[in-house]
Amino acid sequence: MKYEHFIIKYRWWFIIVPVIITLLAAIPLTKTKVNPDLEKYLPEDTPAMLAKAKVDSLFGNSDPVILIFETDDVLNKETLTRLKNLSRAFHKAKEFDRVISLYDTKSIKGEYGAMVVDPVVKRIPKTEKQREQLREDIRQNELAYRLVISEDFSKTVIILKVANGITDEQVVQKIENTLHEFPGDETIYKSGTVYLRVQVNSDISRDMLILMPLGMLIMILFLLLSFREWKSVALPFLVVAMSIVISLGFFPLMGWELSIITILAPIMMIAIANNYGVHFIARYQELNAANPEWSMKEITKNVLYHLKKPVIITGLTTIAGILGLVVHILLPAKQLGIAASLGIAFALLLSISFIPAMMATMKKEKPLKLLTQEKAGIIEKGLARLARLSFTRPVMILFIFGSFLLLAGAGVVHLQVDSNSENFLPPKHPFRQATSIVNEDFGGTKYLTVLFEGDMKDPELLKRLNHYETELKKNPSVGSVMSIASVLKIMSRALNDEGDEFYDKIPDTREAVAQYIELYSMSGDPEDFDDLVNFDYTQALMIVQFRADNKNALDNVIDEIDRLTVDDPERSIIGGYCLVDKELSEAVVHGQYNSLLFAILIIALLLILIFRSFVSGLLGSLPLLFTIITLFGTMGWLGIKLDIGTAMLSSIAIGIGIDYTIHFFWRYKYELGSGKSYEEAITATLTTTGRGITINAFSVMLGFVILFVSSFLTIKYFAFLIIFSVLLCLLCALILIPALCLLIKPKFLESNFKK
Amino acid sequence: MRTKHLIIATILLFASTTVRSQDAKEISTKALNVTDIDAMEMTSTLTIMDAKGHERIRKTSTASKKFGETTKIITKFTAPADVKGTGLLVYDYENKNDDMWIYLPAIRKVRRIVSSEKGKSFMGSEFSNADMSKPNLDDYTYKTLGTEEYHGIMCWKIESVPMNDDLAYDNGFSKKIALIDKNSYFTYKITYYDLNNELHKEMTISGYDEVGSGMFLARNMVMINLQNGRKSILTIDQLQNGSSLTENSFTPAALEK
Repeated sequence: MKYEHFIIKYRWWFIIVPVIITLLAAIPLTKTKVNPDLEKYLPEDTPAMLAKAKVDSLFGNSDPVILIFETDDVLNKETLTRLKNLSRAFHKAKEFDRVISLYDTKSIKGEYGAMVVDPVVKRIPKTEKQREQLREDIRQNELAYRLVISEDFSKTVIILKVANGITDEQVVQKIENTLHEFPGDETIYKSGTVYLRVQVNSDISRDMLILMPLGMLIMILFLLLSFREWKSVALPFLVVAMSIVISLGFFPLMGWELSIITILAPIMMIAIANNYGVHFIARYQELNAANPEWSMKEITKNVLYHLKKPVIITGLTTIAGILGLVVHILLPAKQLGIAASLGIAFALLLSISFIPAMMATMKKEKPLKLLTQEKAGIIEKGLARLARLSFTRPVMILFIFGSFLLLAGAGVVHLQVDSNSENFLPPKHPFRQATSIVNEDFGGTKYLTVLFEGDMKDPELLKRLNHYETELKKNPSVGSVMSIASVLKIMSRALNDEGDEFYDKIPDTREAVAQYIELYSMSGDPEDFDDLVNFDYTQALMIVQFRADNKNALDNVIDEIDRLTVDDPERSIIGGYCLVDKELSEAVVHGQYNSLLFAILIIALLLILIFRSFVSGLLGSLPLLFTIITLFGTMGWLGIKLDIGTAMLSSIAIGIGIDYTIHFFWRYKYELGSGKSYEEAITATLTTTGRGITINAFSVMLGFVILFVSSFLTIKYFAFLIIFSVLLCLLCALILIPALCLLIKPKFLESNFKK
Repeated sequence: MRTKHLIIATILLFASTTVRSQDAKEISTKALNVTDIDAMEMTSTLTIMDAKGHERIRKTSTASKKFGETTKIITKFTAPADVKGTGLLVYDYENKNDDMWIYLPAIRKVRRIVSSEKGKSFMGSEFSNADMSKPNLDDYTYKTLGTEEYHGIMCWKIESVPMNDDLAYDNGFSKKIALIDKNSYFTYKITYYDLNNELHKEMTISGYDEVGSGMFLARNMVMINLQNGRKSILTIDQLQNGSSLTENSFTPAALEK
């Protein structure tokens, strides 16, 4: 008992030093930065990132901000005046490269033998007649109608292309200030990934800041209800709080930013780190009830003696499981793996030093009546009943678990990956409203760009582009398709009269193409083409605007583009933010598969080494496999998609699952070693260690219930799934594992426990 | 006595400011007039460069002549090959928007072009259409900012500001500052400020040649866009004062020839 004496002798050191370390780690917390833009973390050499980088470097940021203005009729004087002022102000702003509004979009038309190139709105109509003339002109203008103004004229947009090197905050600031400077009565919706990121950022921070402390409060209340004494609640809780500080403090210390993935670090601490402390308290209460004459120091020594090994083992296996994230493709997942492991390592150290040191300094309480007398609590009664069940009906238990695994697990084939980060937000969120308006009235929020490289004045190539456009427009998801070929075709209608051989077609000669373009450069604004073709006409973009709120719709458009253009020798790449988004979610999910596999293998290996038994590895990883397969399968059945948040969840399931199992193994082995029968050992284990496991599990589950009020759908799902996986882990530890132990009677649990 | 002094002082003050602003406008008018040639024929090269150094070269031959209040300009592209023969006819009116026709040989068609935006680019270059035609002097207010030496020559530094927001927006600048030779009234350099009042473009003008009695023309104009790194150069290769062309040569029908 050398270690136990040591801890108690130098207890004040073991209290003061961790507190100082925690306080020091709290200092960098003030410098914590949040970065919701996961795209930054994707490796730069993935196909979608390379394609987007290439298109962006050639044609600028392809990811615009869309401001929607809604009123009865946007052609009224006040709205048009406001739009004019706003459009001018945005033109002046250095934050934006391009501004597209009713005042910038061109109207190209043939009129009395002249080609007229003008902004859609040249001057604000003064009379009703002028207004109706303008309305008719817009209906005829395929560059404007349904693209910058809605079919019923109740909505119009200002599209802003953000300049390079401008941050999301600067963009939002500029837009808000400008809108404030020119006020009006129109309802304004804001769309675009800049707003998506800012919304996700502020809402996640808000939810986490408000909800997590509330969740912790609920956990405290539940622990208090279970343990019936304040200090028993305070100790495990201090460990959680201190390990959160350590794991979060590590981020600014390393210069890392918090993201939607790494924000899970404190959640993992809450779910996992209180594990250790709870068992100490449960054991202390148990010993106190059995030996009322013992002093606090004696109890502490005894608790520490019995628990230091299982706690170290559960800690190490959890750390190994979470470190599986280090092989993940995404940097934030790696960071989460490291920071969470660090936090858990700290919690582990605290549990075998700080907690016993604190216990040794505390006053001894009266033994809990729950544990000494006949009137046991609900938990205690239930556990005794479960124990009976597992040794009377082990086969039936196995059968039920097996069937459930099969039934739920079959849902895995229905499991879908969510490739759309918009779905993080609840359906009624203003951003989602903006999205549905853009989808219904303005051709869609998604953009794909197809890069062509070659002689962009070659009529054959242009005719092919025109063909692709015509075909793509037949797809119901596609809102608009634009390329230099579309502009040439519009010009051919303005330059030639109906019935002419050149009317409404791509010209047949290279000369004619060159001359059309030259003509445009004299009458329009050469910048009009900057988005579509490069300076020396060797590269051009076809911009496909479409709606897609799920992966299938997105894949459908991608496949269609690919089918049409795959044989085109001039086609280079297909790019777009939605591809990055898709790749990102796939990367997260596949990365998670790898991490899971790695984690389970490492854990099995550790168990085999610790218990010197192959069976222990199999038996120990069984609850993990059961939980994860059932979890993913249930998601498949319920239609909950795997996204960044929900995929990371399985790491938590591993951390919890392995802890419960090891605590069970250890106690069961001890009880068997002390000469009890299998049945007696199981009853003893479940009513003692099982009590700790149950209290711990319910405190975590109740703590996460609070997340249901979050505005993020993904957080709600996350809460549901985390509660579900804790429950599964709990059922495995309390029912499945005992039944299996009775049936298999594994040798590694029978070998004599040395006292 | 005191009142009298004050009145005199006030009059002097007013007089001096009036004189000074008169000066600035006068200098600008003289600077415009010194290059205001009634008729000429020339061939020129327009080189348009992007920030990465890619080039587009346009060669044109141009004739211009004043008929009454209207200056008529006819331009034909001679290179590159794919736009060769493309013709442009402009009627530059004193008091209304220009008329413009274009002839495209590939479709054998003359089309009138209507476009109201003066501040827009000239043939896709950094020059604007406004740079290429004579400005309406009354659209601006003028101010002398003092004098400055330019390559050893003493120049007036004249600031022109569009009269109102709409004019500023149409012309694409909030103000321009010109360096005008004190003796010859040649303009050597004009800096343009964008609508945000930030330095935008810089035009340098050189190679002034006398083409008639007291009439000069600059052979070289370079416009650098300081914000995006693009650059355009307009060089006059051959120049002839006066033109023997009759008004019939400045009609849309003549473009096709």
